[in-house]
Amino acid sequence: MRTVREKFQVARFTLLIVMPFLMLGWSSKTSWALPTNKQLTIGISSEFETLNATIAQTAAALYIYDLAGRTLTSINADWQWHCHLCKVMPSFDNGLVKIVEKKGEKKLVAQWEIIKDARWGDGTPVTAYDMQLAWEVGKSANVVTGEKEQYEQVEAFIIDPKNPKKFTIVYDRPRYDYYEFATFYLLPNHIERPIWEKTKNSLGAYEKQTAYSSNPTNPGLYHGPYVIKEVKLGSHVVLERNPYFYGKPAKIDKIIVRIIRNTQALEANLLSGTIDMVGELGITFDQALALEKRIEKDRKLQNRFQIKYRQGMVYEHIDLNLNNPILKDIRVRRALVYAVDREKLVQALFAGKQPVAMHNTHPLDPYYTSDVMKYPYDPKKAAQLLDAAGWKLGKNKMREKAGQPLSLTLMTTAENKTRELVQVFLQNEWKKVGIEIKLKNEPPRVFLGETLTKRKFPAMAMYANISSPGNLPDSILHSKSIPTKENGYSGQNFSGYRNRATDAAFDKVRTEFDPSKRKALMKIVQQEYTKNLPVIPLYYRAQLAVIPANLKGFRITGHQFDSAQAAEDWYLQ
Amino acid sequence: MTAYIIRRLLQTVIVLFALSFITYGLMGLMPGDPLDIACAANPRCTPENLDLMKKQLGLDRPIYERYGKWIFAFVQGDLGYSRTYRQPVTTILLPRLLNTMILGATVILVSLLIAIPIGVLTSLKANSKFDYIVNFFAFSGISAPSFWLGLMLIIVFSVFFKWLPAGGVETIGVEATQGTWAYLLDRAKYLVLPTATLASLTIAGWIRYTRASMLETMRLDFIRTARAKGLAWHHVVTRHGLRNALLPVVTVVALEFPRIASGAVITETVFSYQGVGKLMFDSIIGNDFNVAMCSFIITACMVLVMNLVADICYAYLDPRISFK
Repeated sequence: MRTVREKFQVARFTLLIVMPFLMLGWSSKTSWALPTNKQLTIGISSEFETLNATIAQTAAALYIYDLAGRTLTSINADWQWHCHLCKVMPSFDNGLVKIVEKKGEKKLVAQWEIIKDARWGDGTPVTAYDMQLAWEVGKSANVVTGEKEQYEQVEAFIIDPKNPKKFTIVYDRPRYDYYEFATFYLLPNHIERPIWEKTKNSLGAYEKQTAYSSNPTNPGLYHGPYVIKEVKLGSHVVLERNPYFYGKPAKIDKIIVRIIRNTQALEANLLSGTIDMVGELGITFDQALALEKRIEKDRKLQNRFQIKYRQGMVYEHIDLNLNNPILKDIRVRRALVYAVDREKLVQALFAGKQPVAMHNTHPLDPYYTSDVMKYPYDPKKAAQLLDAAGWKLGKNKMREKAGQPLSLTLMTTAENKTRELVQVFLQNEWKKVGIEIKLKNEPPRVFLGETLTKRKFPAMAMYANISSPGNLPDSILHSKSIPTKENGYSGQNFSGYRNRATDAAFDKVRTEFDPSKRKALMKIVQQEYTKNLPVIPLYYRAQLAVIPANLKGFRITGHQFDSAQAAEDWYLQ
Repeated sequence: MTAYIIRRLLQTVIVLFALSFITYGLMGLMPGDPLDIACAANPRCTPENLDLMKKQLGLDRPIYERYGKWIFAFVQGDLGYSRTYRQPVTTILLPRLLNTMILGATVILVSLLIAIPIGVLTSLKANSKFDYIVNFFAFSGISAPSFWLGLMLIIVFSVFFKWLPAGGVETIGVEATQGTWAYLLDRAKYLVLPTATLASLTIAGWIRYTRASMLETMRLDFIRTARAKGLAWHHVVTRHGLRNALLPVVTVVALEFPRIASGAVITETVFSYQGVGKLMFDSIIGNDFNVAMCSFIITACMVLVMNLVADICYAYLDPRISFK
């Protein structure tokens, strides 16, 4: 029996715990002012590094850069390649692209022109010299960049002596993707050229002296709808409208990007009004679903926020290690897919907002085909396939063959709540057909940087691939991309998938200019993929953002190039 | 005394050298590399590109060679560049270190001002209602996880009452547009919640230490003698009791500062406070050797120096302690 004093203490303690939640509920009923076009504060949960986009590698740095800079071409929210800084997209039809022969080798030549009104934030015109400098910096072995291929594909860069806005690019070989310059960021020649000339012969020297690091608020470094006014590493960036922007002027005067690393704190900051919105680099999917439920129930919150979702190019899947003796058998691999009700999985965990994946190519991708082998939920068929493979049900309702249990290890990144929930769901599904699943998770650094890259996972590895529309997945499916000790563990074909038809299709597709023929080649890849199942497709992840209820013109892209690249379209009603 | 301090400082240098070698080696032995992860996340990053990046950053060299280069540059005052931020280490580290110092000093000061008097009072009124109430809150403070407490404080004081900012170090633009006092006041506002979160733990612990130490001291013969001599009660408590009881507390307090400086990762993350704790954690995970090693050296220095300070404080509090 508790004494009155103990009861009082328990009641007091309970009140202390419950009170903040009651207050939280009450707080949502207090009045809040919506942001205006004077200022919009965006919260992100990732840190940024340098704002020199040529050498930046973090998603946060590129997100901020997209508010202040533009590339020659990019992919828009409709998943179409379009001109940002170029006047016209060169093509064979308009005569600006042709294939020439030089010293017995075929080369592709494209003529480009930069928009006449394009200027840097200090009024200096954007010219081909800025593009040329970016090319020189990007391809240099003394500069660390996330990808070299886009610079190395340019064999010669010729500027029109009469018009510095016009230039010709000679590509190393005929290639259909000659217009893909979405990560080819221009560098202001009038500011960065002297720095580059001084540092180009020394390894790592340019990164240390670039004006983006030493003087990041120089308006001459930016030519997007905004210029950067204040930078505090690890804290925030302040951007103001660029008066020299060549496009339609931005409608919001000032944008502040604040970093709040903890996603729970990010949500609390959003509710407290410290930030107005959370962009794509923000809260987790399960947080968004919980917040959406709160918004649905609370009219005041409905007046403050809206949550935007868009299916994206992030493909969540399980790589099967094809060196595993159990998984070498295609019947077992197929049984694994048939045994899982993936539709139920996405409904139960993601309210249907992240759709089931048929294969690695997203339905909105130009190469997508549904004419492939399908695996609807069919536990009976799974059981038949396992029986046929010799895995019979034992006394404990688990399968075994020659005294060995059908047991597989499923690995993924630790501390990822969503993946852990998916793991448990899959474990239960596979248990129903007699497959034992052992769960083993590792910190992302170990799992993605060691276990996966060196193919050390014994059976199954769950993670995601990020892609962009029309991207060719040869680095993850071509047999040349299987990481081995001999090739220094290069390549991302972690399953160890070898398929002649797939390899042949990839070998042809890079130099195929006819889109319909490219699509036919990629159809072979997808058909072989679903037939041979080196991977268990799970779902396509969605991108999400929590934005003010009065923010218009905001569109989530769903691919790797974020919504900020159309920030001039945003306005607050 | 001077010889003692010089001897201790020399020992500190040797310890730092040994610790830096071990730490550098352990970081190098960690499996995986963030570059691999970054490349895997970029559909256009080729294996050749990845190899080139590793070569450019010197990651293809043996760990002892890399350590040799680093220590040689470090003793010459060249702290190097951050691999993650592409900025000089000093540019990244110094503002954050200053923020951490401010937070740490505030937490220590607030904790001392609250914990010592309450600890003394609870020992003098042991087993009273006041003692029970303080004990209840002390145990609550020790038990409450800092991430939970931090979020609750944000919800109550930022979301509900809107009295205090939910996170950050200062209001954006306050330095440029307003005067020094307004700036200091603004900084103080941003310190309240992280200080409350961190201090709740230290206050609770220190109250318990002070109480236990005082209870033990107040039972000793010299206290009885002081009282028998007719000394005023408050003199007995402060000059005789507290001075002796503070000896073990001094060690705890001295070692708390480097703990806050290096270990307030969770509180800094929840409040988006730009301190050195989170930076150190990220730099270790991100294989950002220059930043990690500098942060580590600073933290190790703090531990060693604060130990020295504690020893010097002993001599002040108890002249019987010899430095020989």
